[in-house]
Amino acid sequence: MQSPNAAQSMFGDRARRVGNLRPVTDNSPAIVVEQLVREFRKGPRAVDGIDLAVSPGEIYGFLGPNGAGKSTTVLMLTTLLPPTSGRATVGGFDIAREGSQVRASIGAALQEAALDAILTGREHLLLQATLQGIPKATRKQRAQELLERVGLTEAADRRVGGYSGGMKRRLDLALALVHSPRILFLDEPTTGLDLQSRTALWSEVARLAHDEGMTVFLTTQYLEEADALADRVGIIDHGKIVAEDTPANLKAEIGSPTVEVLPADLAEGDAVAEALTRFGSPIRGGRGSLTVQLPGGEAQLAELVRMLDQAGLHVASLHLHQPSLDDVFLAKTGRKLEGAAEDSDEAQSVDAPPPGRRSRRGR
Amino acid sequence: MKRFTYVARGVAWRSIHNTLKSPAILVPSIVFPLFFLAAFAGGLSKISQVPNFNYPPGYTAFQFVFVFLQSAAFGGVFTGFAVARDFDSGFARRLLLSAPRRSGIIAGYACGALMRWCVTGTVVTIAALLAGMHVPANPGELIGMVGLGIMVNLVAALWGCGVAMFLRTEQAGALIQMPVFVIIFLAPIYVPLSLLTGWIHAVASVNPATFVLEAARGLLANSPVHVAFAFALLAGGVVVMGLWARRGLMSAERAG
Repeated sequence: MQSPNAAQSMFGDRARRVGNLRPVTDNSPAIVVEQLVREFRKGPRAVDGIDLAVSPGEIYGFLGPNGAGKSTTVLMLTTLLPPTSGRATVGGFDIAREGSQVRASIGAALQEAALDAILTGREHLLLQATLQGIPKATRKQRAQELLERVGLTEAADRRVGGYSGGMKRRLDLALALVHSPRILFLDEPTTGLDLQSRTALWSEVARLAHDEGMTVFLTTQYLEEADALADRVGIIDHGKIVAEDTPANLKAEIGSPTVEVLPADLAEGDAVAEALTRFGSPIRGGRGSLTVQLPGGEAQLAELVRMLDQAGLHVASLHLHQPSLDDVFLAKTGRKLEGAAEDSDEAQSVDAPPPGRRSRRGR
Repeated sequence: MKRFTYVARGVAWRSIHNTLKSPAILVPSIVFPLFFLAAFAGGLSKISQVPNFNYPPGYTAFQFVFVFLQSAAFGGVFTGFAVARDFDSGFARRLLLSAPRRSGIIAGYACGALMRWCVTGTVVTIAALLAGMHVPANPGELIGMVGLGIMVNLVAALWGCGVAMFLRTEQAGALIQMPVFVIIFLAPIYVPLSLLTGWIHAVASVNPATFVLEAARGLLANSPVHVAFAFALLAGGVVVMGLWARRGLMSAERAG
């Protein structure tokens, strides 16, 4: 495991090695985006004038359904796709004019872990180290360190054609870290991973940010991932950022928790509803349940139970529902995140890429 | 410049590594030239008895030069296929993302093509010598002939890279191969230009490949002919195809 100082030192060495690479000062934002737009030919704006700033050492979660513009944003910030308009700097370098310096400053694990089936895991790391200009004397040592860190030591000398999806993801992360970048882009890193692999990857990302001071820009469509990892979350829908704050603040903005009451006898539904009006207007659910907001917070739950008891009303179940990022998404867009994915996919099919063109893949 | 070199070195290493580790890539690139050599030099050897066929080193040497240059050209073409495969598999995106200096990617593919052709060219030469090829050329002329092969390889590799980067799909293979195939086979392959007649003679007379082929045959025979012109043609080809490959890379960068 590397200390933050060691990471800083490695970056400093690298900055000197590549000559004109300016080290980022601790105070300047690691990523700054101003009115960034990406328009595809004959298609809608995939990214429609977004603004954001990410501080050094911060984990920024970019949350949204499929086709919302998350991956297009990452492709632009990693210099894989030029913006149509607007500007952005990554590590202090302009993505349009200083692509070479941007790429030397960042690591990225994109949605599809594109690996060469003929190369082994270790060979991938050595190749990556060569491309990044790491001196020959330290390449093998760096590769071994990273193989150990991502738990691929035993499989290191096997061709990656035989790796599982989880192993490929871990190798992809190791490849992104070869040159000890200050900024790490992870595009839906846990999609398709089992729970164990997902948890392990979360731990490693958190460690990189908190122990090594790495800035992490993470796109995800998993609410719990953004909630668990991100210091701040930006919610994107149809190419626009609709909300941005810490997960706690975003949820607090939505308001107080709700409680869902399922009467034991559905015939008592009206009576339960009448009782619940004391807290607010109850909403009827699909199976006869009633949901009401607790304006005084979860402390009112005991009061609600006592009241139902005193009224002689029996309940089959009672669920306290804290506001989630899904509620935030619902409040900001009028849709649930899961449903939004389907809507956006339909929208995306309008500007589907012609065969053989890579430009719009993975948006 | 250092960053360019790092990238070129990495891409070239992978190209060589994959060729040597994958028989499916290595074997055809060696077997096809050997097959051509055996079929043309062996099967058509009586052509040397045709009146006015004047190539003193003999028909094996006459055909060897063609196979030598053809293997150089197709070594470059195969590199184009590899680039197209990298775009189809997504690995090209990894290279674009990892390479601080992206023009190094083209240089790396071209170096890989050249090193792979060194293997093929050596095998073909050994086979021709074992078949009794007579070599009147002096060392300088041999170096000149190899130089022509290197430049042919480079032109073809840059052409292939450019097409593959513009189209970014394995389906680009046919488009990469076809013009190279046509240009090569419209040159005087089986007989000297003077023995060709009709439209094929007219076409071969202005075909740039004819000048390169005749220059290489002249060098091997110790009677050089339009060598400087052939080198100039190929140098121009390297420049034009280098720009073409660079445009292809820019197209791939724009597409993301």
